[in-house]
Amino acid sequence: MENIQTPGPAAPAKTKPKEAEPPALPTPAVPKPGPARRQDLPAAFSKEVPTSIADLRAIEQQVKKLVRQVSPAVVAVEVGYASGSGVVISADGLVLSAGHVCGRPRRDVLFTFPDGRTARGKTMGVDRDADTGLMRITDPGPWPHVAVGDLEEARLGDWVLALGHPGGFDLKRSLVVRLGRIIRAAPGIVQTDCTINSGDSGGPLFDMHGRVLAIHSAISSSLAENFHVPITEFFDTWNTLAAGGSANALASQPRAYVGASAADDPAGCRLSAVEKNSPAFNAGLQPGDLVLKVEGRDIPVSATFRRWIAEAQPGETLNLEIKRGDKLLSLQVKLQTPPDGK
Amino acid sequence: MASDLPQLPSAPGTPPSTGSSPNPAPSNHSPPASGNRLSARLICLFAILAVALILGGWTLVSPVQETFQEDLALPRNYFRSGEQTLRAFASLSKATRNSIVKFNVDGETVALGTVVDAAGLALTKASEIKPGKLTCWLASDKEVNAQLLGVDDDEDVALVRVDAKGLKPITWAAGDVAEGQWAVTPGIADTPNAVGIISALPRRIRPQRAFIGVQFDFDTPLPRVGMLIAGLSAQKAGLKPGDLIAAVNGNPVTNREQVVDILRDFREGQTVTVRVRRAAEEFDASLKMIVPRSGEEGAEFYPQRPANLGAEVSRRALGFERAIEHDTVLQPWLCGGPLVNLDGQAIGLNIARASRVTTYALPAALVQRIFANLNSRRPHVEKTAARLGAMKAPSR
Repeated sequence: MENIQTPGPAAPAKTKPKEAEPPALPTPAVPKPGPARRQDLPAAFSKEVPTSIADLRAIEQQVKKLVRQVSPAVVAVEVGYASGSGVVISADGLVLSAGHVCGRPRRDVLFTFPDGRTARGKTMGVDRDADTGLMRITDPGPWPHVAVGDLEEARLGDWVLALGHPGGFDLKRSLVVRLGRIIRAAPGIVQTDCTINSGDSGGPLFDMHGRVLAIHSAISSSLAENFHVPITEFFDTWNTLAAGGSANALASQPRAYVGASAADDPAGCRLSAVEKNSPAFNAGLQPGDLVLKVEGRDIPVSATFRRWIAEAQPGETLNLEIKRGDKLLSLQVKLQTPPDGK
Repeated sequence: MASDLPQLPSAPGTPPSTGSSPNPAPSNHSPPASGNRLSARLICLFAILAVALILGGWTLVSPVQETFQEDLALPRNYFRSGEQTLRAFASLSKATRNSIVKFNVDGETVALGTVVDAAGLALTKASEIKPGKLTCWLASDKEVNAQLLGVDDDEDVALVRVDAKGLKPITWAAGDVAEGQWAVTPGIADTPNAVGIISALPRRIRPQRAFIGVQFDFDTPLPRVGMLIAGLSAQKAGLKPGDLIAAVNGNPVTNREQVVDILRDFREGQTVTVRVRRAAEEFDASLKMIVPRSGEEGAEFYPQRPANLGAEVSRRALGFERAIEHDTVLQPWLCGGPLVNLDGQAIGLNIARASRVTTYALPAALVQRIFANLNSRRPHVEKTAARLGAMKAPSR
């Protein structure tokens, strides 16, 4: 992967001021792993497998302590139409997330902390191959944050804690805590048996010192074998991430923009908003329209509609069948490149 | 930068890695095949970019297939709910197994049960007790008959009499649960069925959405009927397009969201009273909440949700007054038993497998209240049952 760059100590700030951008913050340095010593952990964590209730109690005590310690820094993120998770790693609001959650640089992000507090920010850099992404809270801090870990110290079978907001933020529930072990590791991947789900993407995997070891990336068909991006991938792609760049062909492809947001409705995919002068607006789409079909294919839920848009190219025309009240309409939407900031 | 890539398992100074330990790799662990299976069936976490991520998943996974070696993976029996790990919980299982029964309907396992009375009373998940011959397995390896005595529909709990002596009522834990504490699901065997931790503190869980069959007029924020779904209760009750909904169950409403919000608290089969305003006229309509199943009238307007990303879930998975959320991967037919802490005390009763990451348990205090209610109605039920002979599970 030629886009991987060597993490330099305190990468020199090479931000060029751009017009209409908020005041440029200095390019953040590669985060340094927080201090931790395995021998400080209870003996149960050095065993291949716990063998007694006493071992289990030691694990429980540490996990309960960590949950209290690290939870405040785990955020739900909303980028564009979709939501995922992330973790704050500096007082001024640097947030690690997954590349596929960020999408691309300079998008608006709404962060929600576990207590329901929100903050605004932007996506910074993204590497779609590594599935690493960096965001920044632009509202003034300080923000609750956690240390990053050191994967070199991690071992197969290590107990790990997965936090995140599966299914999106829910104030009555807040964070969801899961425990598991590292079950497999390979270049670019950590696999655990922590159960994760849609919406956890970008959320942190913690070691038993409370440091971020990896970021949730993908699930497998087995509930007990899920994928996380190791923290080392963030270090390796740091220059791209911190400079607000985007690495790899997928991310640099122009994205198609429709200018309508859709939500799930008992009846299926219902448009909740249509932006003025957007492709959707120009095609005559209105809020409240029920999208039945795109290119003759059924749209059972709003995610299906968004996937059509995500896979389309700017300039492409999509045939939509919609239902407005009890009228059925056929409309053509010509997709465009997104306006700035979208 | 290959040399910078993580080298977890082979790092020098690594203590006995599971791969190099004398424990033989378990037979069900076949790494290369498993790697292929995983990559081929990767499911993305982020619906919007599904395809892009699956592509990403392939790139992420392919190195595993190339470089994968036996010592790079943890044997499956060392997983959190692997056999070896479960052995650490054995003393809990031994202490609780006589407080647990395993229910069968016509010979098929449908649920566990939690013994609440030495005379053979047990609680279980009501919706899993289908009509048929009800028996249960005991820890002593005996199969005995059982009779359904009563059901709490709101919380989906059933009270059952088990024809057995020597059962031990479960001990209920007092006090609060904490996020991160072990949540153990013992069965009638030597080791638990599965283990997990508390993922989120107890809260109310809303029911699965059910419908009255009204599509609102989206040209106005007012709760004005736009369209009626044929065959559902609003159409049957004579509502018409243009009608305004003024109140639901006595709560005045002025916009669509309020109506939807109130209706969210009612589950399938329950009835709501809707105050309807039509020109100068106002009247009440009594509407039954419905979830149209595929093939039924109205189903095309309320499509079934996509499968839950590969997880098997309970049919009745939502709608509880209060539930503890834990991350135990529990098979839906193993609900109904106690959820215990490391002291072997029940912190709750497993009531539903709800998603890939979610299992719900009714908290101990709520379960004890439900038991008290069901138990107070029991003498009457048992007298009737005795008169009728063996009581059949009511069709529900």
